[in-house]
Amino acid sequence: MQKLFLLLLVFPFQIFSQGYQVNLQGQVSQGMGGAGSALMQDASSLFFNPGGSSFVHSNEISLNVTPTFGNTAFLENNTNNLARTTSPVGTPFSLYALYQVKDSSKLKLGLAVYTPFGSTVEWEDEWVGRFALTRLKLLSIFVQPTISYRLTDKIGIGAGFVYSYGKVNLQKDIPVQSTDGEYGTAELDGSGSGFGFNVGLFFDLTKHVDFSITYRSKVEMNVKMGDATFIVPNSLEEKFPSGKFTSSLPLPAVFTFGLAIKPNEKLSIALDANYTDWTPYDTLAFDYENNTESLEDTKSARKYVGSVALRLGAQYRITEKIKARAGFAYANSPVQNNYVTPETPDANRFNFTLGLGYKLSDNFIIDASLLFTQFTREATNLETGLSGTYKTRVYSPGIQLTYKF
Amino acid sequence: MTLNRLYIITIILFTLFSCKPKFEIKDTSLGSVDATSYVAIGGSSTAGYSDGALNLNGQENSYASIIAKQFNEVSPTVFNQPLVSTIGINLDGNSRLIMGYKTDCNGETSLSPVREAASGDNTILGSNIYTGSGPFNNMGVPELSTLEVTTSGFGVSNPYYSRITSDGINGSILGDALLQSPTFFSVRLGEQDILNSATKGTTVILPLTSGPDGVGFDGSLDAILSALSGTGANGVIADIPYILDYPFFTTIPYDGLEIDAAQATTLNQVFNPLGISFQVGKNPFTIEDPSSPFNVRKMVPGELVLLSVPLDSVKCMGMGSVNAIPDKYILTLEEIDSIKVRIDEYNAAIGQIASDYGVTVVGLGQLYDGFNSGTTYNGITLSTEFVSGGAFSLDGINLNPRGQSMVANKFIELMNSSFNANIPFADPIKYSGIIFP
Repeated sequence: MQKLFLLLLVFPFQIFSQGYQVNLQGQVSQGMGGAGSALMQDASSLFFNPGGSSFVHSNEISLNVTPTFGNTAFLENNTNNLARTTSPVGTPFSLYALYQVKDSSKLKLGLAVYTPFGSTVEWEDEWVGRFALTRLKLLSIFVQPTISYRLTDKIGIGAGFVYSYGKVNLQKDIPVQSTDGEYGTAELDGSGSGFGFNVGLFFDLTKHVDFSITYRSKVEMNVKMGDATFIVPNSLEEKFPSGKFTSSLPLPAVFTFGLAIKPNEKLSIALDANYTDWTPYDTLAFDYENNTESLEDTKSARKYVGSVALRLGAQYRITEKIKARAGFAYANSPVQNNYVTPETPDANRFNFTLGLGYKLSDNFIIDASLLFTQFTREATNLETGLSGTYKTRVYSPGIQLTYKF
Repeated sequence: MTLNRLYIITIILFTLFSCKPKFEIKDTSLGSVDATSYVAIGGSSTAGYSDGALNLNGQENSYASIIAKQFNEVSPTVFNQPLVSTIGINLDGNSRLIMGYKTDCNGETSLSPVREAASGDNTILGSNIYTGSGPFNNMGVPELSTLEVTTSGFGVSNPYYSRITSDGINGSILGDALLQSPTFFSVRLGEQDILNSATKGTTVILPLTSGPDGVGFDGSLDAILSALSGTGANGVIADIPYILDYPFFTTIPYDGLEIDAAQATTLNQVFNPLGISFQVGKNPFTIEDPSSPFNVRKMVPGELVLLSVPLDSVKCMGMGSVNAIPDKYILTLEEIDSIKVRIDEYNAAIGQIASDYGVTVVGLGQLYDGFNSGTTYNGITLSTEFVSGGAFSLDGINLNPRGQSMVANKFIELMNSSFNANIPFADPIKYSGIIFP
C-alpha cells in the first residue's frame, strides 16, 4: 500500500470531468462513455456498483491507468492576452481485487483503490490570472474494502467502506511588489483524510436487461495544520506571517442509475445517469493561524450546483477474443457562470470514447480506451474580476490488465 | 493486428485534433485613428508627474505613453517624450518619493513615503532641450491650467514648459502641438485647474467656468479643440474625476486628534474660554478660520485635512490641538462645495465643446469612482486608500503606473468603440503598483 501512495504522489493527474471529479475508473466502462454500472463484467464493479460484484463469475485482479493529456488556454476579454496551462500529464489509476469466499458462491470480498477526485493545473509564468491561481495540485486516493452478496439469483447487494487520503497544494501570486519588480507569492500546502461509503444494488431483471442503483457518499477532506508560506518584500513580512492554516474540501456524493441491455450474445448497450451533489461545495475557506490586517481568513464563494451526466455506450463482441466499444456522455457543469475559476475552468461537455478488449488467454485480458473531450467556457469571476474564455481539450488513452483465476 | 488498428486510430485522432486548444484572435486595427503624429495635451497626469515629482518612471508610464505603446502594438508608433532622470524634480527642488523608513518626532520608525534623494535633480530645469530632443509628442506639462495652453511665452511662468518649448519667447503649448501637424490628439484638461487650487490654496480660487480664451475654462477649451480639430485630426478628451476622493484629501481624518485625560484637561483649560471643548479619545482637529471668533474652531464632519500637513507638527508640536492647523492644509465645507460645483460645470462644458467639434469624451470619472468604491481587477484590489490602495502614486494625487495603465485602457476602450479600431488593452498587471523595500 505504501508503494501506491508514493506512486500517486509522484504522478499527479490533470483536471478532468465535472468540477474536480475524475471519472476514469475502468477501461471497459471508459470505452463506453463511462456507462456500465449495470453491465457487470469485471472487478471495476467494486467502484461502479458493489451490488453487482457478486455477479462477476471469477476472481479477478485488475490494474488500470489512464494517462490524461489536458490543455487549457485562456483568452482575456478585450485583449489578445492568451495564456496556457503547462500542467503535467495526469495519471489517474485504479486497482481492483475481487475474491470469492470459498464455500459460499454468493459472497464476494473486494478491495478497490482508486482516485476519484483530483486536479493539477499549472498556468504559464506571469499569466494574467496569477493573483487568482498559479498552480493547484489536488490529489485524493480512496481505499475501499467491500462486501458484495447475492441475495437471490436476481438481486445483488454490496457495500464498501471508504477511507480517503488527500493532499492539496495551492499557489498564487500576491499583488505586492518588491524593488526588483517581483510579486509576492503564497503557497498553501496540506494534507487531510476523510471517511465515506459506497453502496449499490444490482437487479438481473430479465435475460436481456439488468438494472443498478448506487450511491457513493460525500467525503469531507479536512486539512488541519497545513503550511501557509508567504514570500513578500521584507518590509511587509510582518503583515504576511507564514504559519499554519485549516481548510476543508467536500468530495461530493454521487447517485447513479444504470441500465444494461443485451439484445443478443454479441451486443451490450449500457445507459447510466449520474447525479453528483456538488452543493456542499459552497465556499472555499482558509483559516489562518496568524491573522493580520493584510492576512485575514478568506471565504471564497464557489456555489457549485448539482450536476447530471448521461452516458451511453455499446460493446460488440467481434470474435471470441475481441470486443469493440464506443460511447459518449453529456455532463453539465456544477460551476455557475460568476464562479468559474482558473483551478476548474469547467463547462458543459460531450465526451467521446472508443475502446477495445482483447483476451490474451483464459486468465489475462487487456483493455484499452481513448477518450476525447473539448469544452469552452466564457465567464467573469465575481471575486477576482478575471474575465475571459477558457478552452480545454483533453485526451485520455487508458490501459488495463486483468488477471482472472 | 488489433493493437495495430488501435494505434492507427490513435494516430488519426491526434492528427485531426492537436493537443492544444486554439483561439481565433481578432486582428488588431487602429481603425480611423491615425497614430502617425499623436500629440497629448494635459497637466501633471499627462506629463507623467507622480510620486511628488516629474521623474523617468512616471513619464515612461504616463497614460499617454501607454496609449502610444498600445498603438505601437498595431503599427509602429513613435512617441517622443522630454524624459528626465530617475529621481526627478518638483518645483520645490525635491526628488520623487519612494517607500522607505522614516523616524518621526517621537523616535518611532515606520514604513512611509520618503524622498529618494536629499534634493531633486537640479540639471533638469533651467535649460531648454527642444533643439536636439524635440519636438515632443507628450505636451503634458505639470501644473498646466487650461487657461495657459494658448499663452505665448508660457515658459516664463512654468519651468517644465520652459525646458521643452520650441520658442522661449513666443512659444505656446498649443502652438508646439500644432507644429507637429497632429494626426491624433488626446486632451486631459480641467482636473489640473482644480487641483492647483485645491491642493495648495489658502483660499480656494478656481478659474472661471465661462470667459474668453485665457480667462474662462470654456473659452480656453473652445480655442484648443477648435485649433486641434481644425487640423482634420481625430481626437479624444477626458472628463474630470471627482478629485476630492483622491488619497491626498481623504487619508487624514478630520477627527484624528486622540488625547488622554490629562491632555483633555490641559486643552480644555486653554480652549473652554473660547467656547471649544475636548473629550478623552477622538476629537476633531482645531483649524484656523478667520470667520470664527479668535480665528480658531474645531473641524466639522465632511471637512478635509490635506496630506501636505506636516505630520511631525501634528504629532509633537500641538498642531491641530493647541495650535490650529493653518488654512492651507484644510478644505472647508464651503471650499469643498465650490470645488464640486466647478467640477460639474467644467464637465458640462467639456461635453458641450467636445460635441461641437466632434471630439469624443472619455469617462475617466467612472474609472476613478471605481477606485473610490474599491474595484477588483484580475485579483488585484484597487482603491483610493493611500499606499495600500495600489492605484495612486505616493503623492496621493497622481496615479502610479498601474493606475495610469487603467486610464490608458479607458481611452483605448473609447477609441475602439468610436473609431472602429481594435487596439489591444494594456495589461495593468505588467505595470507596477507601489514598490516596497
